[in-house]
Amino acid sequence: MNEWSGSKDLTYEEFVRFRDFIHAASGIYMEDTKQDSLRISLVTRATRLGLSSFSEYFAVLERDEHELNELLNLVTINETSFFRFPQQFEALRTRVLPEIMANKPDSNRTIRIWSAGCSTGEEPYSIAMTVIDAGILSLGWRVQILGTDVSTRALNVAKKGEYPKRSLLNVPSEVLARHFEPVPGGYAVAPHVRSLVDFGYHNLIKEPYPLALMGNWDIIFCRNVTIYFKLESTKRVVSNFFNSLNEGGYLFIGHSETLSQINDQFEAVEVGGVFLYRKPKTRRGIGIAARKPAGAPMPPAEPPALGQREAAVGRSSRTTGRKPERDAEQHSAARRPRPAPRASSSEAQAPDPVQAARAALEEGRVAEALELAQRIIASDPNNADGHLIVAYVHADAGDYAAALESCHRALAINPLLPSARYILGIIYQRQGDVVRAVSEFKKTVYIDDSFALAHFNLANIYKSQRKWDAAAREYENALRALYKSPEGAWTEFLGGFKIDLLAKTCERSLLECRKAMGVS
Amino acid sequence: MAARILAVDDSPTILEMIKAILESGGYEVITASDGNEALEKARGEHPDLILLDVMLPKLDGYRVCRLLKFDQNYKSIPIIMLTAKTEEQAMATGIRTGADQYLTKPVEPDTLLAAVAEELSKAKGQ
Ligand SMILES: C[S@@+](CC[C@H](N)C(=O)[O-])C[C@H]1O[C@@H](n2cnc3c(N)ncnc32)[C@H](O)[C@@H]1O
Repeated sequence: MNEWSGSKDLTYEEFVRFRDFIHAASGIYMEDTKQDSLRISLVTRATRLGLSSFSEYFAVLERDEHELNELLNLVTINETSFFRFPQQFEALRTRVLPEIMANKPDSNRTIRIWSAGCSTGEEPYSIAMTVIDAGILSLGWRVQILGTDVSTRALNVAKKGEYPKRSLLNVPSEVLARHFEPVPGGYAVAPHVRSLVDFGYHNLIKEPYPLALMGNWDIIFCRNVTIYFKLESTKRVVSNFFNSLNEGGYLFIGHSETLSQINDQFEAVEVGGVFLYRKPKTRRGIGIAARKPAGAPMPPAEPPALGQREAAVGRSSRTTGRKPERDAEQHSAARRPRPAPRASSSEAQAPDPVQAARAALEEGRVAEALELAQRIIASDPNNADGHLIVAYVHADAGDYAAALESCHRALAINPLLPSARYILGIIYQRQGDVVRAVSEFKKTVYIDDSFALAHFNLANIYKSQRKWDAAAREYENALRALYKSPEGAWTEFLGGFKIDLLAKTCERSLLECRKAMGVS
Repeated sequence: MAARILAVDDSPTILEMIKAILESGGYEVITASDGNEALEKARGEHPDLILLDVMLPKLDGYRVCRLLKFDQNYKSIPIIMLTAKTEEQAMATGIRTGADQYLTKPVEPDTLLAAVAEELSKAKGQ
């Protein structure tokens, strides 16, 4: 191993250089008082790698994300404990869980809880034990808990789930008896608790978040984590939480933390002396009726959305412990163009020609789609969907005049058809008329904000114009729309590609825009 | 240096997704959205590989392919054609146009990347 050639003193300039790098890469900001503890961590890592100066180590850090993780393992403080601040777990059991269960439709009996910055796992396991003790699993509810952290060392401890005796001192003995098993030197979390919890690596500062984290959470715990962040970063993290929570969902923050100055979208709720933050429920405005073309069957509210969402979770390679057979099943559910109507569905549907034509389009059987659509129009000239499908096929074949005509026929029947606006946008875009394309895509999302592809195309246009800010916003909107209502993604316009490719494309491009904007 | 790929498709939505797949594979990507533009860029920028959709306005993909493959200066550029399912029979004609490989749409990202890597390494070997 090389001798350490340079000075072991970290100059203030060197400290700032590392601090800024760590801040940009992880959001963790070290005050000047941390100079010496950072110096110790740096010397530890650099010597381990056989390097002999801070500048050599900096070069490694810059190009090697793995090394960054190693360093973060040393600099993050993973202080945590079981049932830390017990009043919050009491509030979870007595108030939050019952409220969330009451708000869910009968068809959805899954509760999803995210422990962000879970450190060595005490927090998510405490949540699992609380859920079990609330007795809701026996009522047929399913609970998924995900713990994420940037410290891989902490995550390894969490996954192992074994803790020394002294870290269990404040766990009541009856809890210990019910939810732990003795192992040499301490206790292991019992399998029935573990089976509710998954762990994965995630950096809260690094955006965009993977699709799997972007939505459908009922409860998020993020306690004593953002205390290391600068105000700007904390604002972004909390706003990401807001967007990722279901309406009526709850955010738990550290008992000494506050959201004032950080976010004013949450409503504060006091339960037994602790403050929790709830995402308000919005009233649905008009526009819902315009979400699907007139006459198109509304997919049943829950099953397709669930299939897609859970497929999204399974997609995250970092979420561990997922059973593959369940994944496969969910993926195929997600791919099915339209779910078969369930026996219990009150409005049993006859085979619908529009549905068949859309499916043909989605699967790339263009000629068949055209023929079906023409038959629909022949029997019902006022069928807007028929005209739309014809418009799309013509647009795809480059026959823009015919496509425009069919679009306008559809719009004459129903001027609020988002997909007609969208196809108009596509046609103008292909003709190089960017101004009109933008205007049509904007109208599309005005009518239906969940039309992800319209956001996506808007974003692409802005990106090509180097309007990074606007582009980034639209990619975010697209991702949000994709997450919130994958059934609104109009997959028949995807040319057979899958939604997750669209999501990945959005994520990549979003990063590119952020880079161009100089934000990391 | 990263290989440069010319991707040709008339749908901006799809082109953007193909671009993302290729970039995730570490390639540099240039794009064209019709047959004429494809020819222009192929000749002007001499990419390492061309990914060509068959259905293109102005000049279809088969013709673009034939024009390049029968030209001494460009015939060494590998061409991968993307065809729709219904065009499978047409692939017989395609082979005579001299494309190096055919993929049916929708193509899986991994399949696309594997085909690209294969053609690039074949081209290098020559
Ligand atoms: C003090 S612990 C809190 C653990 C637990 N939430 C609790 O309150 O007991 C803070 C955790 O936040 C994690 N952390 C710090 N920066 C992070 C980031 N950018 N993304 C995710 N986790 C981060 C640290 O690794 C550490 O494990």
